[in-house]
Amino acid sequence: MGTGGTKDTTPLVRSSSGGSEKAPTLQERITASKGLILRIAFGGIATVVAVFLLYLAGYVGLYDLDYALSLLPPRGRALTTGLLATLGFMTVVMPLGFGLGFFFGWARTSKVWLGRAVATTYVELFRGMPPIVLIAFAVLITIVVFRGNDRIDLFAFASLAGVVALAAHSGAYQAEIIRAGILSVPTGQTEAAEAIGMSKATILRHVTLPQMFRVSLPALGNEFASLIKDTSLLSTIGGLELTFQGKNLSAVLAVGGGNLDLVIIIWVEIALLYFLITFVVSRTLQAVERRFRVPGLEAAQL
Amino acid sequence: MISVRNVHKWFGELHVLKGVSLDVKKGEALVIIGPSGSGKSTLLRCMNLLVSPDEGDILIDGVRVNDPKIRPEWVRQQVGMVFQSFNLFTHLTALQNVVIGLTKVKRLSSTEAERIARFELERVGLADKADAYPAQLSGGQQQRVAIGRALALNPKAVLFDEPTSALDPEYIREVLDVMTKLANEGMTMVVVTHEMGFAQNVGDRVLFMADGIVVEEGTPEEIFERPQQDRTKTFVGTILG
Repeated sequence: MGTGGTKDTTPLVRSSSGGSEKAPTLQERITASKGLILRIAFGGIATVVAVFLLYLAGYVGLYDLDYALSLLPPRGRALTTGLLATLGFMTVVMPLGFGLGFFFGWARTSKVWLGRAVATTYVELFRGMPPIVLIAFAVLITIVVFRGNDRIDLFAFASLAGVVALAAHSGAYQAEIIRAGILSVPTGQTEAAEAIGMSKATILRHVTLPQMFRVSLPALGNEFASLIKDTSLLSTIGGLELTFQGKNLSAVLAVGGGNLDLVIIIWVEIALLYFLITFVVSRTLQAVERRFRVPGLEAAQL
Repeated sequence: MISVRNVHKWFGELHVLKGVSLDVKKGEALVIIGPSGSGKSTLLRCMNLLVSPDEGDILIDGVRVNDPKIRPEWVRQQVGMVFQSFNLFTHLTALQNVVIGLTKVKRLSSTEAERIARFELERVGLADKADAYPAQLSGGQQQRVAIGRALALNPKAVLFDEPTSALDPEYIREVLDVMTKLANEGMTMVVVTHEMGFAQNVGDRVLFMADGIVVEEGTPEEIFERPQQDRTKTFVGTILG
C-alpha cells in the first residue's frame, strides 16, 4: 500500500475518532441556531436604540414630542395592522415565489425542449414587466372573469390574484438564481453519480441540490430582501399593509392640518419595521447558508 | 465478462468510435493506450453506458445491456468507474462519499453501509481520513477514496479513465499501488492510462487505439517490444522515448 508516501499537508478540522458522520452536523446545527438567536437579538437591540434616539430627538426639541406621543395609540393600531398584513403577504409570497422559481429554474436546465421553452417563456414574461403592472393585470383579469358571480368574494379573489402576480414576478428572478446554482455544479459530479447507478431523482436530491444551494443562497437572500419590500406594491390594490397605513395616516394628518414632524416619525417607524423584518429574514438565510457549508471550500463568514 | 461488439459512436459530425470490438476476460487487467482523441474515454464510457453506442452491442456476462429494456442504472452497478478528475462529491466526507451509493442505490441500512464503507476506506489506506472532506484531501487521497467508492458497490469490473493524469507526480505512486493491489486480488479492470510502467508490469493485455479503432492488441511485451503496426511503433517509440 502506498500510504507511506502520502504527504498530508491538509490539516483536518475534525477528529476522525467520532463514530458517526452525523455528529458534527448536529453540532453545527446547534452552533448555527445559537448564532441565529444572537443575531436576531442584535437586530432587536438595534431597533430599540434607533427608536430611543428618535424620541430623544423629540425630547430635546427637534420636534413636538408631546404632540407625537398624544397620537401614539391610533398610530400604533394602524401600524400594527399594517405590520400584520405585510407579514401575512410575506408568508404567502415568499414560499410561493420560491416554489415557482425552483420549479421553473430546474425546468430551464431540462434536457426536454418543451420544459425549457415553457420555463423560458415564464421567466421572460414575468421578469419583463414591472411588478405593479403585473399586479394590476392580475386583479383586472380576475374581476373580469369572476364579476357577477355571487358565490365568491370578489375582493378576496382579486387580492389573492395580486399576491400571486407578485410571487410570479419574484419567481422569475429566483428561477434564474436556481438555474445558475444548478449550472454551477460541475458535470463531473452528476457523471460520477450516474456511474454508481444513481437515478435522476436521487442525483437531483442528493448531489445537485446540496451543492447548488451553497452557491444560490446569497443571491436568494438578496431576492427575498427585495421581495419583502415589494409587498408594499400590494397597497396599490388596497392591501392594508405598512406602506398603505403610512400613506393613509399622512393623508389624515394633512387633511387635519397636522404637523410635518409626526408624518416624518410615522415614516421612520415604518422604515424601521421594514428593516427589522428584512434583517431577521436575511440573518435566518445566513444560518441556513452555514448548514450548506463545506469544510475546505468556505469563504469568511459574517 | 465484458464484450464490445462493433461499436460506433458519433458526436455530431465527429465519428469517435469506428467499429470497436474487444473482450475483457474475468480477472484480467486490460490496459488501453493511445494518443489523445483516439476514443479511449468514449469506449470506456460505452462499457457502463454513460455514453450509449450508436451502433453495435455491449454485453456483460453474455447479456446485451444497451437494450431499452435494461436500466442503465443497473448496468452501472455492475461496472464501477474511476475518473481522471476524481469527481468525489464535494459536499460529503470521504466516508459519506462511499456510503451514499450503498444507501441510495443499493438501499442498505446506514449501519451496514457505514461498515462496508469503512472497510473500503481501509482497503485504499484511508481509514483515518473518513471524516475529511474532498477539499481537505490531496489529489492522491481523493482518487483513492474514489476507488473505494467504486469498489463499495461490489462491481464485477472497474473502469479507470486516466486515473493518474490529473495528479501531481508525488501522488501518482499511491494510486497505482492501490490499483496494482486490486489487480493482484483478481479484480477485472479496464485501465486507460499513460503510465507505461503500470501497463507493462500490471497489464495482462494491452490494446492500442488510434482514430477510433483498435490498431493492435497483445501482451505488454508484444506491444511495447515487438509492435507490428507502424502507428503502434511510432506511439510506443514516443512514449518510451
